[in-house]
Amino acid sequence: MAKQPEQLSPEEQAAAAEKKARRAISRRRFLMVLGGGVGVLAVGAVLGGPTLVREARLAINQAFLTGAAPSGAPPKSPFVWFEITADNIAHLYIPKIEMGQGIHTALTQIAADELELDWAQIQVHQADSARGFDGDLMFTFGSTSVTAMYQPIREIAATLREMLRAEAAAQMGRTTTEMVAVGSAFEVSGAPETRIAYGKIITDKQGEWSIPGTVPALKANSDFRYIGTSAPRVDLREKVTGRAIYGYDVRVEGMVYGAVARPPRYGAKLKSATAGDAETQPGVIAVVIQDGFAGVIASARTQAQNAILHLALEWEGGTTISQAEIDSIVSVPAEGGTLIQRDGDVTSAANSKRIEARYRTPMAVHAQLEPQAAMATVTADSAVVYVSTQAPGLTREKIALALKLDEAKIEIIPTYVGGAFGRKTGADVGVEAALLAKATGRPVHVGWTREEDMKYGYRRPPAANHLWATLDGEGNLTALHHGIASSDVLFNPEVGGGGFLETLLGADPLAAYGGLIHYNIPNRRVIYHTTRVPVPTAYWRGLGSFANTFASESFMDEIAFEAGIDPLEFRLRYKPEGDLGARYEAALTAASQLANWATPPAPGRGRGVAVTYDRGTVVALIVEVSGDEQRIRVHHAWCAVDPGLVINPDGAIAQVQGSIIMGISSALYERQVVENGMATNQNFNDYPLARMTDAPTIDVALLSSDDTPIGGMGEPVIGAVPAAISNAVFALMGLRLREMPFTLG
Amino acid sequence: MELNVNGQTYEVEVSADDLLLWVLRDTIGLTGTKFGCGIGVCGSCSVHIDGMVMRSCITPAAIAVGKTITTIEGLATVNDAGEEVLHPVQEAFIEHQVPQCSWCMSGQMMTAAAFLESNPTPNDDDIIAAMSNNTCRCGTYVRIRSAVARAAQIAEDRA
Repeated sequence: MAKQPEQLSPEEQAAAAEKKARRAISRRRFLMVLGGGVGVLAVGAVLGGPTLVREARLAINQAFLTGAAPSGAPPKSPFVWFEITADNIAHLYIPKIEMGQGIHTALTQIAADELELDWAQIQVHQADSARGFDGDLMFTFGSTSVTAMYQPIREIAATLREMLRAEAAAQMGRTTTEMVAVGSAFEVSGAPETRIAYGKIITDKQGEWSIPGTVPALKANSDFRYIGTSAPRVDLREKVTGRAIYGYDVRVEGMVYGAVARPPRYGAKLKSATAGDAETQPGVIAVVIQDGFAGVIASARTQAQNAILHLALEWEGGTTISQAEIDSIVSVPAEGGTLIQRDGDVTSAANSKRIEARYRTPMAVHAQLEPQAAMATVTADSAVVYVSTQAPGLTREKIALALKLDEAKIEIIPTYVGGAFGRKTGADVGVEAALLAKATGRPVHVGWTREEDMKYGYRRPPAANHLWATLDGEGNLTALHHGIASSDVLFNPEVGGGGFLETLLGADPLAAYGGLIHYNIPNRRVIYHTTRVPVPTAYWRGLGSFANTFASESFMDEIAFEAGIDPLEFRLRYKPEGDLGARYEAALTAASQLANWATPPAPGRGRGVAVTYDRGTVVALIVEVSGDEQRIRVHHAWCAVDPGLVINPDGAIAQVQGSIIMGISSALYERQVVENGMATNQNFNDYPLARMTDAPTIDVALLSSDDTPIGGMGEPVIGAVPAAISNAVFALMGLRLREMPFTLG
Repeated sequence: MELNVNGQTYEVEVSADDLLLWVLRDTIGLTGTKFGCGIGVCGSCSVHIDGMVMRSCITPAAIAVGKTITTIEGLATVNDAGEEVLHPVQEAFIEHQVPQCSWCMSGQMMTAAAFLESNPTPNDDDIIAAMSNNTCRCGTYVRIRSAVARAAQIAEDRA
């Protein structure tokens, strides 16, 4: 039999014992950048006053905005990742969550290559929290899964391959150098009749495995069998037959359904709560009222939701903010803010012409089609929670707090996720299911309604951008200033930010994302202004890039027009220095060729371009639009993307297609409105999404400027979409669209 | 009441206004049919009742009594050897690697399957018209479009 984790070697046991320590270390790594900053800030405040504080924050923000995302340390034992059974099936346990981005397939390709697996003898599993991966590592966010996991997975797979090689050699009485791995087996080089399957090598192993202390040599890229190929998605058979289980689909024996009372205004707290006549409503099993929380469990989902309306609840506090007030708060002031980029001096640049514009991006919801959902079973000293989440670690932490249970007693089983786009980075529904299950002793499923999800999730923050630029007498771009105003992303305490981080950074690094100026302009400055609204806002696909790239790339077009230069040529002229500039040029050139930019579009059509550098990936996007009084229509999109080495080209193309269509949806249609302290959009009848009629023809060129994955694929493209559309509309009809959603009226 | 789903009869205790979606998912346990909006807009809950596409989230289960209900779990068939044979739409959706998160896909495929019954040789405009009332937030529309055309081809090849 294959080794089970609990039967493993001392190394594995040591690794398990170190789990908490590793977790602490990974957190510490994340805080290291901050830690240095705290000292500087403290010294700055005492000795240097505001100037030194500003300089320290500038340095820290630069580190944040250009550095790699934090990630948990991977476990050192290959048996956490792989089990190979006697039937020679390699079971892969994937720590990252499959939410449609194809990550289970891409990570399997990486592992299968180094471990020389036969693709037909692989079975992929979602790892749960008991598997041995820490929560930070399982957190699936920020388009970082491939870039963060590529090297660790290759190393761990190669380690197991070498352990199997040594064992195969021993079993055959050969030397390790004679053995070659091929198709989930080892054989003596040139003698296929000597083949022994991995499953048999493991079954016949006597004694304990020892894990080598050094990382074996990895394959050359030219020897890749799976990396770089469009391997078919490993999850689609289950999905097209309806067998795949998502958080909303989990069923266990004896389960009941829960619903939770929601406030009438954001920030309102329960002042008093009694059962009212909820207990006598059909199907009601129990009313649960405790610590500012009121919920109901019932035999059927709709019964629980109905009974909630019969609770006697009094709410206090909260906001009564209106959309007009939000629009007024979220604007870029003339003074103040936190400096996040400064090169040269924008105020002393040659200035024979000044160009200025302001842009606005509204709040928007994720509208992932599976609303929040979780199933919890809780006993006096344990909890098992199935949940549709991007953040199993945070979910476990928050449930531990809510249940007053040690984290080790809580098992989180992540399911397939029916869309997320940042919405499933919190822990709301998992905590609700756990609280209801604990109070009643029954397994409880909580699935939010669409109305709950649209009103009570967090949303993309409202943002405003103010840019100005100067041209000298020859029409050269001499200075560019970008002022950003936004409500919170990382600074939302519900998703882990808040007080300390804010004091340190001054600027929310995730709301500022995409705000840095990469163009090679002598004088550049970016200032971030925290303009907080009392409405929950946080992660949305692309983070700040959506608003900030809309503004900066629309403005780049405005400058090009004033300078009288073709907008694509203008971007090439100011491409960044060094390697990044070469990547910009390659991407712009590829997109230009795809779109045949040099040839004007047909009458009635306009083309626009936008380029972005986000999460290590360079994107150049050209779109072609038509427009009349009623409607902007995007007919064609041409996109060149350079994330370095691409693991699965077809999967990468799917992300480009999806990002473009979601970007079109948000740019043309989406706006969440708040009145009297509560969202007024409740469902898809008053929050329309793009449909098939909105989908353009999409052509994609994948570029690889590096032999390893250096950039993400899930988000970078979406930031380029709004500006490409607005620039195309300007090219078509001379109208500048500076506020989303775009209307021509 | 008695419901016939995917060729099997289920005796379910439900009241007259219980919605078919929740009866299928929570009472019978066929969770392949998905909940998206609850107001019949997104199409994730689409099933066939006597071959017609219906939005199960706004359809009382009682309406389906005495009729034949087909859900995504009943779209594939089983051959003489006992193997699962995917419906041409399912096969095409895999071939074109359509689904991302796939939460909307049961509804997309049920809509496509009924559409191809009524129009076995559609052009692109027919496909867009038939499929444009089903929402996909992952933005797989260009692949749905090509896969429905491909499914028509597969069905013709099998006939």
